[in-house]
Amino acid sequence: MIQNSRAGRRLAMRRIRPRRSPAVPLVVLAWLGAAVVMWMWWNNTPNVVGTANQLIAAGRITGLLGAYTIALVIAQMARVPALESRVGSDRVARWHAMSGRYAISLVVAHVVLTIWGYSEVSKTGVVSEAVTVVTDYPDMLMALAGTLMLLIVGFVSAGALRRRMRYETWYYLHLLTYAAVFLTFWHQLTTGAEFIASATARTAWYALYLTVAGLVVWYRVLTPVRLNLRHRMRVEATVVEAPGIVSVLISGRKLHRLGAEAGQFFRWRFLTPGLRWSANPYSLSAPPRPGLLRITVKAVGGHSSALGTLKPGTRVWAEGPYGALTAARRSRGKVLLLAGGAGITPMRALFETLPAAPGDLTLLYRAKSTEDLALWRELKAIAKERGARLMYAVNGPDGSRPEITPDGLKARLPDIDRHDVYLCGPPGLAAEWFHTLREAGVPERRIHHESFEL
Amino acid sequence: MNPFRTNPMRRVLLGTVATVSGVTALLALKPHTQTAVALPQTAASPTTPSAGASSPASASPSASSSTKSTKGTKGTKGTTTTKTVTGDTIQTRYGPVQVQITLKAGKLSAVNVLQVPQDNPRDAEIAQYSVPVLTQEALAAQSASINSVSGATYTSQGYISSLQSALDKSGN
Repeated sequence: MIQNSRAGRRLAMRRIRPRRSPAVPLVVLAWLGAAVVMWMWWNNTPNVVGTANQLIAAGRITGLLGAYTIALVIAQMARVPALESRVGSDRVARWHAMSGRYAISLVVAHVVLTIWGYSEVSKTGVVSEAVTVVTDYPDMLMALAGTLMLLIVGFVSAGALRRRMRYETWYYLHLLTYAAVFLTFWHQLTTGAEFIASATARTAWYALYLTVAGLVVWYRVLTPVRLNLRHRMRVEATVVEAPGIVSVLISGRKLHRLGAEAGQFFRWRFLTPGLRWSANPYSLSAPPRPGLLRITVKAVGGHSSALGTLKPGTRVWAEGPYGALTAARRSRGKVLLLAGGAGITPMRALFETLPAAPGDLTLLYRAKSTEDLALWRELKAIAKERGARLMYAVNGPDGSRPEITPDGLKARLPDIDRHDVYLCGPPGLAAEWFHTLREAGVPERRIHHESFEL
Repeated sequence: MNPFRTNPMRRVLLGTVATVSGVTALLALKPHTQTAVALPQTAASPTTPSAGASSPASASPSASSSTKSTKGTKGTKGTTTTKTVTGDTIQTRYGPVQVQITLKAGKLSAVNVLQVPQDNPRDAEIAQYSVPVLTQEALAAQSASINSVSGATYTSQGYISSLQSALDKSGN
């Protein structure tokens, strides 16, 4: 049994201390950086005369902004703890997708405007000018290769194609970005007027890119290596919790020292044929204990379906903890947890550990049928011990869906508007609940949710 | 913040509009006429009485005054000599620029470009269209206080600096 752990009880005794997400200061900082980059251009450009030079100048601006944005795009995926656990992995992933698209648009604009402008100046055709630019300017062949790679990455990340691709294929193609950034970096310094003119600008640019490279090496390479050398995790056992829902128990050394909180997840890689090459995010379904972690997974894809067949002793490579759907999000005493299907996983861990007085904590669990209520016995035991409310909603025998309405919620929890609500479930359901909660009077800032839809 | 509210199309549209108008505004705010460029190199050249014209920002008045003083010298000596002076080699981003001037009776009569970046077709192109314009301007102004050619800012800077150093050496 994994519930009723001492670790869980200790967590549940903590004081409620809401922490502010550093999202706003970070966004402000990013914009300030963009302003500095624009100032670099402004400072270095005495005038812009004629159409051709306007095109070239626009090409420079978009190029500078694009290169700056790409540095941010990489930093967003460097798994920096402040971003992953305080802003939230889901939100950062959305930032990443958004700024990635923006960066690629800027790069395309930069290429088109620059070549067009140069061909206007030299009165040659666009194609011959493009050839000239690539062959005659320093580091431009590298830049061409890098840009093509960026375009490939952008192309495969486009929604329609992404969905049809295997996650692993998409992921490994995405790693091309690092090569692309390396290849395109040099032409910025050797042909960029702003950098040729000023050693300060060059230094600043090196600092920006080296910082980002340092973050990637530190948090994506060294930190996971250290974690796995220290904790040496292995599969302990697998347990079928409900039809299609499986728990994997993972043993290791000093697992309570991982710093994982209830509601967080790790990216798991099981070192066994077929699973070795993909790392998937799964939430902890119980607070970590000194020698044991547990994840609970619904079989939806190739990876998650294969988890049930894991043999005890299989080595596990984990990266994390990530995610901001933790106790730090809440601002008040009363909490409602809404779980849909396999979305119970983080809610189960929070149910045990969220500090709350008896009666202040409610969990509403939505599933297809009572058989599908995975972890139900544990939840009941926790509810009993903590004096928390536990409710479920399942489809009727005729398959009719239970209505979770604003009025229904208010009837059960008259003071729902004074609750913090954590919700986790399949995307459609989560969106539906979000609107229901808003109608029931819960302010948006008190609805805590993680969604990995980009 | 809230992922349920995002409307991707609106965001794309907003981003595009904001970027395009931002870039357009930046371009619109920059001067659209040619301005003389600052020449860091001239500051290092020896200061001569005519060095008043070495600051490119000070345009025609000081330039014309230096021309007048040249005429004055010519008048007193009454000689018609032809003098050739080679200017300093000025390093620009894209390569060295060096000019040689010919003074007939103290008057700038020709500017000959000895070195200009033309290792690649684009540099050559730039040199090809900018050098004649610069020379024409220099002969008309009788000084180095001339405008740089747009699209050839660095070649122009090098040209102007080298020309200034030649004029300084000639003792005008």
